[in-house]
Amino acid sequence: MPSAAFQILLSLVGEDLHGYGIMRQVASQTGGRMRLGPGTLYSSIQALLQEKLIEEVDLCEDPKLGHERRRYYRLTSSGRKLARAEAERLADLLRVARAKKILRGEYV
Amino acid sequence: MFEKICACLLRLYPSAFRARYEEEALQLYRDRLRDETGMFQRCRLYFDLLLDALVALPQAWGNTSAVSNAAPLVATAQNIPSFRLLDKQPLRPVPILIGSTFSFAALSAFGLMMRLPSPSRSYSISSRPSPIKSVTKRLNHAAPAVNDDHAATANGSGAAGAPQRQSPTGNASTIPVDSGVRLDDAERGRVIRAVASILVAHYVDPQKAHEASDLLLTREKRGEYGAIVDGPTLAGRLTKDIRASTKDSRVLVQYNRHAIPNSPPVPSAAQREEYRAAMLRQNCTIGKVQVLPNNIGYIKFNFFPDPIVCSPIFHASVRRLNQSDAIIFDLRDNTGGIPDMVADVAAELFDKPVLWYNPRATPNASMLPSAHGSKLANKPVYILTSTRTFSGAEHFTYDLKMLKRATVIGETTRGGHPGAVYHIDDHFWMVVPEVRKPSPYGTLDWQGTGVEPDVKVRAADALAIAEKLAARKLRMAVRSGSSR
Repeated sequence: MPSAAFQILLSLVGEDLHGYGIMRQVASQTGGRMRLGPGTLYSSIQALLQEKLIEEVDLCEDPKLGHERRRYYRLTSSGRKLARAEAERLADLLRVARAKKILRGEYV
Repeated sequence: MFEKICACLLRLYPSAFRARYEEEALQLYRDRLRDETGMFQRCRLYFDLLLDALVALPQAWGNTSAVSNAAPLVATAQNIPSFRLLDKQPLRPVPILIGSTFSFAALSAFGLMMRLPSPSRSYSISSRPSPIKSVTKRLNHAAPAVNDDHAATANGSGAAGAPQRQSPTGNASTIPVDSGVRLDDAERGRVIRAVASILVAHYVDPQKAHEASDLLLTREKRGEYGAIVDGPTLAGRLTKDIRASTKDSRVLVQYNRHAIPNSPPVPSAAQREEYRAAMLRQNCTIGKVQVLPNNIGYIKFNFFPDPIVCSPIFHASVRRLNQSDAIIFDLRDNTGGIPDMVADVAAELFDKPVLWYNPRATPNASMLPSAHGSKLANKPVYILTSTRTFSGAEHFTYDLKMLKRATVIGETTRGGHPGAVYHIDDHFWMVVPEVRKPSPYGTLDWQGTGVEPDVKVRAADALAIAEKLAARKLRMAVRSGSSR
């Protein structure tokens, strides 16, 4: 799974978010390392919608951003399963990396 | 401004994507623009914008392609070939115009880089490489700049560099540059008298020259040329009348719209460099070098170019065949070249100086030194000829045949240099076949008659025959060697 798509799925785990909200959440959860541009963000959203891993929610206002109505996105159950499977796969990878002792510092 | 740039970038995305996400994407730009202030954050925003366009575009088009692939292909149901469309909306005129402009610009730039002929540069149908033409032009002292084909003809395709002959009337007055300007009676009469005078003075057959000259002058007096008021028509009419009288199609009167320079054009450094680069790109027009069965060397020369550029390459090519037992020179498509290069190549075939004839040199015969390092001196040489073999190639063939150094196989050559070029004035010039004198070998040279082959066969069969003759000669040499 592409990294951007996985990050988007993760960002939607706790709450429904609109595009800008997803971008900020992804930036937050990656420590600012990943800043999704609109092209990447909406291309990924488009692909995730086609795979039914996320779904659109009715337009509503974001109280923090004024009165403009925005489209929100929500994680579907299959999206949640896929995100979990991807996380487990990465966790397995992490275990292997730890066993190989290629990590240093606090991760060892 | 920033939003406009973003909107432009979004136009690169598929229409379906734009229809669905354009407004949201612009909103996201606006949000970031509002929240990310300060120099560093703004710079980061612009950087993100560019990076995002580069990364996301393929993905967006990939998504569209995936959707269209998944759709049922109704159009192909009846076995009708169809194209799969990435975008449902037809292209608008503006993108088509922009795409066409960029494509043309890219192709032109590529052509320029590769120095390929561009549509704005004219080349003759014969597809003779332009560098060769530039050589023939350079050699052509008459420099009839407008009509290259005539220039080549007048010069014997540049083989020996036809000597420039000045007008017998001296530096005549200039006829108007543009052919649209009318010739008056005085100008027309002066040209006709000059043509008649040149014929009498230089034409190969004095009796025919007088007849043709009288004919022109008589017709001029009768006013038969009075209706001709432009240069090209007058030149054509005079050519026709002289040819009808002399029965000699080599005579030519020509008119150049642009003034013919008084002295041979000196190529600029840039032109020399261009010629050099072009020659090197074409491997100096050497067609092929290979070793045939029975260890017979074969080399195909299509031209004898300027030795200053090509001499090392020619020598190296010939010496690649040093270990051959015989050598075949294929000159069937050779249209001439520079006499010095002709002599340069011939020197490879001798181990002692020989008397070398060059009709364009003064004196016309000199001792040709042998080339150091050549191992071909005592090996059989065969030259393949055709009716296309011309000028410098005939020079090579004739001299080696006369020196009994080569066996000529194929067809009688074209007949070389048709005559000398004479200026009539700044715009008119003519070609007159010269008086032929015997070469130092005791015979008339190839000019006007061509070189007769020793073995007369069709040009297409010449190589096979040469291979057979060479193989037989080599076998006989082995037998006679072993019997001693």
